[in-house]
Amino acid sequence: MDIGYLDIVVAPWGSLRKCCVRRENFNYLSGKIDFRSRLLILTLIFFLIVPFLLSAQSFKPENPIQFKIKNAGITVDGLISDWEVMVDFDPKKLTQSSIRGKANPESIQTGIKLRDKHLHGREYFHIEKFSFISLESKSFRSKGKNAFIGIFELQIRGVKREIEIPFTLSQTGKQQMFKGEFTIDRLDYGLGEKSLVLSDEVRVVVEF
Amino acid sequence: MKIKEWLSRLPLWLYGCMLLPLLAFGLSKQDASYFSFSDIPRIWTDEAMKDWELPNSNPEYSAQPVSEEFYYNLPERVIYKTYPVYHPDHEPEGYWEWLHEQEAEIVLDESKLLTEEDYIKAGELLFDYPIDTLGAVISTKHVRNIDFYTATEMPLTPEGIMPFAQWVVAGKGKVYLGNLSCAMCHTRVMDDGSLLKGAQGNWPGDKAFAFALETDGASERAIQNITSFLFASPFAEGDPHGKLLAAGKEAILEAYRAVPEGAFGRQGTSILFPPQAPNLIGVKDRKYLDHGGLGQHRNIEDMMRYISMNQALDFLNFYGDYNPIGLTKERLNSGEPIFFPGTYDRHSDAQLYALAKYIYSLSPPKNPNKPSELSESGKIIFAEQGCVTCHTPPLFTNNKLTPTDGFEVPDAHYDKYDIFGISVGTDPGYTMKTRRGTGYYKVPSLLGLWYRGPFLHDASLANLEDLFDSARLKDDYVPTAFKPHDVKTKAVKGHEFGMELNEMDKKALIAYLLTL
Repeated sequence: MDIGYLDIVVAPWGSLRKCCVRRENFNYLSGKIDFRSRLLILTLIFFLIVPFLLSAQSFKPENPIQFKIKNAGITVDGLISDWEVMVDFDPKKLTQSSIRGKANPESIQTGIKLRDKHLHGREYFHIEKFSFISLESKSFRSKGKNAFIGIFELQIRGVKREIEIPFTLSQTGKQQMFKGEFTIDRLDYGLGEKSLVLSDEVRVVVEF
Repeated sequence: MKIKEWLSRLPLWLYGCMLLPLLAFGLSKQDASYFSFSDIPRIWTDEAMKDWELPNSNPEYSAQPVSEEFYYNLPERVIYKTYPVYHPDHEPEGYWEWLHEQEAEIVLDESKLLTEEDYIKAGELLFDYPIDTLGAVISTKHVRNIDFYTATEMPLTPEGIMPFAQWVVAGKGKVYLGNLSCAMCHTRVMDDGSLLKGAQGNWPGDKAFAFALETDGASERAIQNITSFLFASPFAEGDPHGKLLAAGKEAILEAYRAVPEGAFGRQGTSILFPPQAPNLIGVKDRKYLDHGGLGQHRNIEDMMRYISMNQALDFLNFYGDYNPIGLTKERLNSGEPIFFPGTYDRHSDAQLYALAKYIYSLSPPKNPNKPSELSESGKIIFAEQGCVTCHTPPLFTNNKLTPTDGFEVPDAHYDKYDIFGISVGTDPGYTMKTRRGTGYYKVPSLLGLWYRGPFLHDASLANLEDLFDSARLKDDYVPTAFKPHDVKTKAVKGHEFGMELNEMDKKALIAYLLTL
């Protein structure tokens, strides 16, 4: 399912194009900027955008998001397979780096179809009303070689909370591989209710 | 005079000391708590009755009960001594004649109920007490006919007692067969012949009723009328009960005969979608009553309301402008008594309180199925398969209501009731097409499965093994317990869990379930 993340990628194009059009309109109306100047502006814009696009492509990772939760003493493994991530991460420029992810809770799988359907319902992800889960970085700090800690805003069911996620980066050439693990309290996000058998804590593993 | 003078000279603190024993031991006996009539709740108030029940699945036809004024104008029931009903071959010699020599004996004096134990004891008496002597289901001539027992495969105790009805002696020579006690549907004759009160009963009530109608030579019209009183819900989509009535006498009798023991077409329910007789043991912990969760169960008052309503006062309900026994609102409120079983008198609030206390006191018998290696592996499978989500220990129910297929949960219900927002796909008939239908089924507790059966809300499966048999999902399946009278085969759909387990795991899971 298309979860609309591309809009976020396309948005800068759109806004810049509007900007260009406004400039061009201005040119045509005033007639004060010559062809060379216009070419220069466009070239500048091109070189400003391209690096951003190259480093911040949205893509669908091969690995699903994994989660684990204890139910009656048994660990239930679940997956969310439909998700996208947009990465602009430079270990040397942490303040300018960003990671954003967006997942579709409808793609949740726990091995029991009826349970998945229940998780779609209003007691859990309420997908009719809240069609996505999002994760957006706020800041990063280094925690040793290839190890980092990110502060992210996690949004589930419309509830936004800041969480800390330790993650590692392994880089081969231009290819970056991230792996992070974190734990959330499902009740913080209104996922179900207090239960005698179902743990509040959910362990989440994200790899891309 | 001297004593008075001496007393007046005693210091005040000494008087305080005299009160200490009271503070230490309380004002009542240590092993008994005392009640006064002011403790007995007044249950049928207009305010309380407004939203105690859930709306019908078709909310325009939600039940409108009789008013507080009407209810409390009904006379209170007098509880006479009752006597056991024997199979004719087991009746002690001279018993019948002896019964006719007995005087009426009133056995319940509310003014003597003081302690919790008193109320529980009185509650047991009321549990066994029939509220009808007009022959609502069966009458004297049926139970004194040997064929009755053969035709219905009536369970008996080793003494030959048929425990589902009692003789009521209302005066010398006035011996009536009493119907419609709680015990009628909630008593089980166990395999060893012992009685288990409060369990899913095994009274073959609908077979017994078919026998009574047939041997009495009831006319088609009479059979249609009584069946309409009991089950008609003309506002239900497709009006299945109307179709049954139109199908005629034989079809109706067949429909009664098709209901197995362990299920019973109680008024407002159905013989087309018969409800499994509920297990009352442990009911104090359940939040909804009836398979459709019709009655909320938030406190003892709710239980008392349910008992009163269920003991036939729902015949006086209006569903829109429809009343099951053909009353108009003018007739209902005319002040004239309505002589229909269970509707012309009522239990007092104290009697209902006693009954509820007794029902709350019911405890399960000792389970012969001890935990074993097999059942312990079944316990793990129970968790792995996610059974715990709905059948959550320790009650083995999450006490929630699941919407049936075709019922859209109104938004307001999520705040008002305990909703588990998915259907497990079981037959929607009972909850969508009866007067008691709410659009939901409550999640049943699995406690006491070892002494219960048949299973599922419509009692369609005789054994737990059948539940995990994927063959039941096919149209050529022959249900092992309830099968509608007009079909040879029928898929038993829904609750499709554990079907892909291998045979060993199924055995382990069942072994675990039987230990609960």
